[in-house]
Amino acid sequence: MSLKPKKVDFRQTWNVLQETVKGVITLADVPRSTWNDRFSDVYSLCVANPEPFADRLYNETKCFLENHVKQLLTKVQAQGETGLLQAYHRAWTEYSQGINYVHRLYLYLNQQHIKKQKLSEAEMIYGTSSTASPGFEEQMEIGELGLDIWKNKMIAPLRTSLVTLLLEGIYADRVGEAQSASTDVIRGVIQSFVRVEEYKMKGQLDMYQEMFEAPFLEASGNFYSREASELLQQSDVTRYMERVTWRLSQEELRAHKFLHISSVPKVRQCCEEKMVAAHVAWLHSEADLMIENERRRDLSLLYPLSRPLPSGLTPLVLKLTQHITHQGLQAIGPLQGENIHTQFVESMLDVHSKYSELIKEVFKGDQAFIGALDKACSAVVNHRPAPRQPARAPELLAKYCDSLLKKSAKGASESEIEEKLARSITVFKYVDDKDVFQKFYARMLAKRLIHQQSQSMDAEEAMIDRLKQACGYEFTNKLHRMFTDMSVSADLNAKFTTILRERKEENKLGIGFVVYVLQAGAWPLGLPPSPGPFHVPQQLEKSVQAFESFYHAQFSGRKLTWLHHLCQGELKFNYLKKPYLVTVQTYQMALLLLFEHCDAISCRDAAISLRLSHEQLVKHAASLVDCKILKKSVEGELEEETVLTLNFEYYNKRTKFRVTGALQRDAPHDAEATHRSVDDDRKLYLQAAIVRIMKSRKLLRHNQLVQEVLGQSKVTFAPSIGMIKKCIEALIDKQYIERTPNSADEYSYVA
Amino acid sequence: MADSEQDNTDRGDGDNLKSDKLFTLKKWNAVAMWSWDVECDTCAICRVQVMDACLRCQAESKKDFYGRQDCVVVWGECNHSFHYCCMSLWVKQNNRCPLCQQEWSIQRMGK
Repeated sequence: MSLKPKKVDFRQTWNVLQETVKGVITLADVPRSTWNDRFSDVYSLCVANPEPFADRLYNETKCFLENHVKQLLTKVQAQGETGLLQAYHRAWTEYSQGINYVHRLYLYLNQQHIKKQKLSEAEMIYGTSSTASPGFEEQMEIGELGLDIWKNKMIAPLRTSLVTLLLEGIYADRVGEAQSASTDVIRGVIQSFVRVEEYKMKGQLDMYQEMFEAPFLEASGNFYSREASELLQQSDVTRYMERVTWRLSQEELRAHKFLHISSVPKVRQCCEEKMVAAHVAWLHSEADLMIENERRRDLSLLYPLSRPLPSGLTPLVLKLTQHITHQGLQAIGPLQGENIHTQFVESMLDVHSKYSELIKEVFKGDQAFIGALDKACSAVVNHRPAPRQPARAPELLAKYCDSLLKKSAKGASESEIEEKLARSITVFKYVDDKDVFQKFYARMLAKRLIHQQSQSMDAEEAMIDRLKQACGYEFTNKLHRMFTDMSVSADLNAKFTTILRERKEENKLGIGFVVYVLQAGAWPLGLPPSPGPFHVPQQLEKSVQAFESFYHAQFSGRKLTWLHHLCQGELKFNYLKKPYLVTVQTYQMALLLLFEHCDAISCRDAAISLRLSHEQLVKHAASLVDCKILKKSVEGELEEETVLTLNFEYYNKRTKFRVTGALQRDAPHDAEATHRSVDDDRKLYLQAAIVRIMKSRKLLRHNQLVQEVLGQSKVTFAPSIGMIKKCIEALIDKQYIERTPNSADEYSYVA
Repeated sequence: MADSEQDNTDRGDGDNLKSDKLFTLKKWNAVAMWSWDVECDTCAICRVQVMDACLRCQAESKKDFYGRQDCVVVWGECNHSFHYCCMSLWVKQNNRCPLCQQEWSIQRMGK
């Protein structure tokens, strides 16, 4: 066969071609050779001499297809209402396949003739140029042409009845009355709406959306509304939500089954709108009760329903915050007794873990709810029992840690204690007044370290590290320094002993001597309150001197101050029936040692020889009198004239014990002082922050300044606006900043 | 008092012997606090307590919190004292004591 253009008789060739096209489009059996011949015929017509018949071929084909579709339409319509969908579907299945083959048969026409006229993509997007004159009808590729004809000649006349039937079919499926066979039909018909416009470059879904999707969504919406109102009348909220959840999932499946994929979210949205959003007020009012009674099942039904709605979760979050706050306050409200700190922290942790578990399970760990938990917990932890009183959490938490880290923590294994400490950090993170906690913690740590009450140094260090992680280096700096002093002291003692041994003087001191050397500034300890230098007992003087000279040889430029109120000595009582080993404070020790040289001594004389004030002497003597080691001459308070004597009848079951020092007794006074010193620290901190801010900003309005200060101090504590104002005033007085002359509430930095 | 002192030094070591004294001192756990032996406890250059590290060291000290020996105190011949770090920066500009304007020379260093 030659490819050379030749003279062709159009009529004759077309008649042959037409027969084959008819065969192809009705999916009749067309032999391969006939196909090949017709394929060449299309070619020869398009390139015919002297004049190509391409346009004529196109028009004839169009004509033929139109007639064909018209015939199909009559056939389909003949089936009447009941069989319309099936008939249409059958015709479409056949036609859509057939037209696809015809398209391929006309490959040459499509490729060479029509493609050339087609608008390029760029022209589609940016608008056509003037070449397209008004009367000019654009030619389409044969496949497209076929679909277009189907759209106009088949779908358009049937449109109303098709859509009605489809909606009925889907409705039947919804209420469970559909025959399974119709599923394919419905799906096929709906797909045909999409397919006929699929070739388009834009607006592919326009017809589908306008013709089918819109009425479908409307019908579905009505269905949902009706179902919702029926459900409302018949069932309680749990049942309602179950039903809606079920309906939503069903509809989603159904949408996947029948519709174009783009409709799935629309169906879901429509369903949510009619069944959830329309009744959201009622659901939310029910939710209050669910949360109050912690009905987990209901809540886990409600959560996925209300999450997609704009601000659908807000009332839930609010209510949950309130609920947790309430529960938390109830949990810590009635606390009393000795171990109030343990109760406080552990009930707080119980509340926290209970609700974080609930949020994880019911609300899928949604951030909004975790935020609610945080908000509620911080409200509970920082709750003030009375408006003017400070929150108790910092002190209680510090005590809790203290009780765990102390030796006396009985029954608990090391890993248990570790775990409890780790968990306490959860509460710590909620504490606003972290600086108050730090003060208390530091004091208790100091006591533990000095009196060797720590359970384990590793646990202490781990705890400090945890605090550092939560609050930063600045926060634990002093705690670290305290901790370091302990190890430095251990080294010092070892060195001291070695040196004594080298000099063969180890027995010279006469006592077992251990010293802690603490650095000033890091420890929350006062200096010994003494009117004059305390008179160290002679038995100790050697130790003091030897160590001081050793220390000054080790370091230079340092001075040592002995903190006698923190020192403890162990005395063996030789004058009683059996020997006792008694641990007492240095002051008490000194007082007892006075009796080596006299049998009785008046308080005044004792105070003078020890160089203590009367109050101090009384404080320490009283505890010795209380535990019956000393006797006093007259009943009542110790006066200057009261004479003290040793009790030679003293008896104790235990031969080794400790006299409770005055140190441990003034605890309530301690707490108050701690809060006061925190206040002073805060003022300095705020002033420093204000100066820093003003120095970098030079000029700032009052409100902005307050905001920035709040931002900076957030990590350690939440200052009151009043305090910030006072600090600003103070800085104006100190001439660090000044009010700008032209504005009342603006400050400028004075360099 | 004088008598007793005599007494004690004579037989200070009574540890393991059965003593005729009322009390035997077995152990003493002492606590002492050290601070730099300075007249003024604030560094006049950075206005921080000399017991604490100087401002510059505080800002950089993220890495070493165990040994803070490196921010020590220095005394001049004039007996004024400062953070060593502060002073070594100061003398680069002006080799005089910031407090008394005497020629600066180091008398001793803290350790």
